[in-house]
Amino acid sequence: MTSVRDRARGCLLGLAAGDALGAPAENLAPEEIAARWGVLTEIERGGTDDTEYTIFAATVLLRHGHALTSEDVARAWREEIVARLDGPMRGAGFSELGTVEALRRGLRPPLTGRWHAHGWSDGLAMRAAPYGIFAAGDPDEAARLAETDGRVSHTGEGIFGGRAVAAAVAVAMTGASPAEVAAAALRAVPEDSWTARSLRAALDVAARTPRPLLGRTLHDAVVMAHYPWTDLAPEAVALAFAAYTAGGGEVEASVVIAANLGRDADTTAAVAGALAGAGRGEAAVPARWAERIGPVAGRCLPVVAGRDVRDVADEIVKGM
Amino acid sequence: MPSGDRRDGPDRLDRVRGAFAGLAAGDAAGWPAARHRSTLLAGWSRRLRRELDAFAEEHQVTTLPVPFALNQPVAPLAAGPSDDAEWLAWTALTIGEDRAEAFGRLAGRDDVRARISVWAALDNLAAGKRPPASGHDNPHHFDDAAAVRAVAFGAAGLDPLEDARVTNAEDGVLGAVAMARAVAALTDGAPMGDAVEAALGALPPDTAIGHAAREALAAARAAGSPFASVPALDAAVLDHVYSYGVAAAQTVPIALALADVAVSAATPGAGEFGGEEFGAEAFGAGVSAAACLAPVADSAPALAGALLGCAAGYDALPAAWRERVRTLAGCCLPELAGADLLDIAGRLA
Repeated sequence: MTSVRDRARGCLLGLAAGDALGAPAENLAPEEIAARWGVLTEIERGGTDDTEYTIFAATVLLRHGHALTSEDVARAWREEIVARLDGPMRGAGFSELGTVEALRRGLRPPLTGRWHAHGWSDGLAMRAAPYGIFAAGDPDEAARLAETDGRVSHTGEGIFGGRAVAAAVAVAMTGASPAEVAAAALRAVPEDSWTARSLRAALDVAARTPRPLLGRTLHDAVVMAHYPWTDLAPEAVALAFAAYTAGGGEVEASVVIAANLGRDADTTAAVAGALAGAGRGEAAVPARWAERIGPVAGRCLPVVAGRDVRDVADEIVKGM
Repeated sequence: MPSGDRRDGPDRLDRVRGAFAGLAAGDAAGWPAARHRSTLLAGWSRRLRRELDAFAEEHQVTTLPVPFALNQPVAPLAAGPSDDAEWLAWTALTIGEDRAEAFGRLAGRDDVRARISVWAALDNLAAGKRPPASGHDNPHHFDDAAAVRAVAFGAAGLDPLEDARVTNAEDGVLGAVAMARAVAALTDGAPMGDAVEAALGALPPDTAIGHAAREALAAARAAGSPFASVPALDAAVLDHVYSYGVAAAQTVPIALALADVAVSAATPGAGEFGGEEFGAEAFGAGVSAAACLAPVADSAPALAGALLGCAAGYDALPAAWRERVRTLAGCCLPELAGADLLDIAGRLA
């Protein structure tokens, strides 16, 4: 029987491994990735914003637990992100800098998440896994906590993406099948939403498409043709869940499929890794990947420098 | 301002024409107009401009390239209307049709140029997604494509909602409703202050567009004149974070604020409202100031021009601008090349 601590560690190690594996494939098309690597399976460099923002979200969550409010999260952003910025903001997306600018303007949530144009980004989905660990077995509570966080930086579909990931991790933490985990994600978002439509389309493609055609078919189904940025939550979350179900919930297969789909590959592989790692536990994360995951550098968020996802996972479990 | 003061002002046809010509003049006044119009030149000439941009970066040259004609006709690069005027004209010409059907005819065409929201909507329609999903499942659901088109609906006294939902959602739709309400009020002869209030009524304060509209109006009123408002509006509304400057939550508030302050700065006494001198002065000041806000110069001048042109009426606009903006270039919708915007506007009055 896999313990909760095993699953928590598997979740965050899977997330960090996906983040690191996918990083060099970010913004590439599946065909470009195939031309460069054949199949990208080995971690080439360290993780990015996905891991560091996940650690930050977990830290704020542990201070407040189920009583977490959006104002708590906004205060943490003001004091620990905005106040420490004295130059460029590294490694984050538009939604993060947009939120920082909204906070600097004196706005409060939920307006901070509405003020900038990237409220639909996958920036909440990428950091939502800790809510699923913390509320293991309770997808509604996991989604509620993710939304509480998300109101600071996101709106609409960006919040739905975070709800979907948090709820799905909460169910994966029980050892449920990939199909049950994906169903939990769909239940956490309105049926009449872009995220739900995109998820349904991607899961359908994943279920019926042979692996060699998966990348192109998924792109045709859920990727916006006339938009240059890749961090749309409805798109990234759909690609991540498609990779996770196509990989049968296995950590290595899920993460490798996600990373090789390109687009926001670090985030999609991180989400796929979080789902699969929660389902299969720490030992299921390939050892050659796990040994590449050490304390984070704090390149994106200096406040989390030196933290190790294993310790963070243990702290969440202790705080449950 | 009592409406009786407007007895000698422009009639309805003149105001509708003023809205269209005003939008086209603002469209032409912003720096992106030449970029849009340069699509009428051969593709290689635009490739050369992109290479010159890279050259300037690489060689640290501050002499920046502008759209140019090399062995190409020069007429497209003359000051004139571009994307927004053409999409407004297309809207007026198709205004009686089912909106999803009208847009559906554009889906699959390879000779159309449009904003990201419109392209995403056309792709969605082609894939079988109907409104409102076509406008909602859309990375630029927040942009002002529908707000530009809403000028036609406002001028015709029609609801822009069905049209806006094809390509936009949330702030993008609210911006369209606000613009249509303001233009409808102005077309009926209401003073600018009432038109701005009507627009504000469509913009809830807890949305980005509603918050920005109130901040922009306060900033412009405190500054006292359109040109004096430029730095204040830059600070109040623009965060300079995102890569595209057509968010309705930025352009519509700026247009409303500049139209409001342009009129109040030009009419120190209530009794002077409605004269041709006022109209030309307010129009020029408001549109020029909007064109000074570089990030939003693609459409904020056009939206401000629509409001101020509608208030002033076509006959009150500067003669040189009236003539210059009448003929469309066909840089986004090729079938509109040579079309007379004034004639198209007249069909709505």
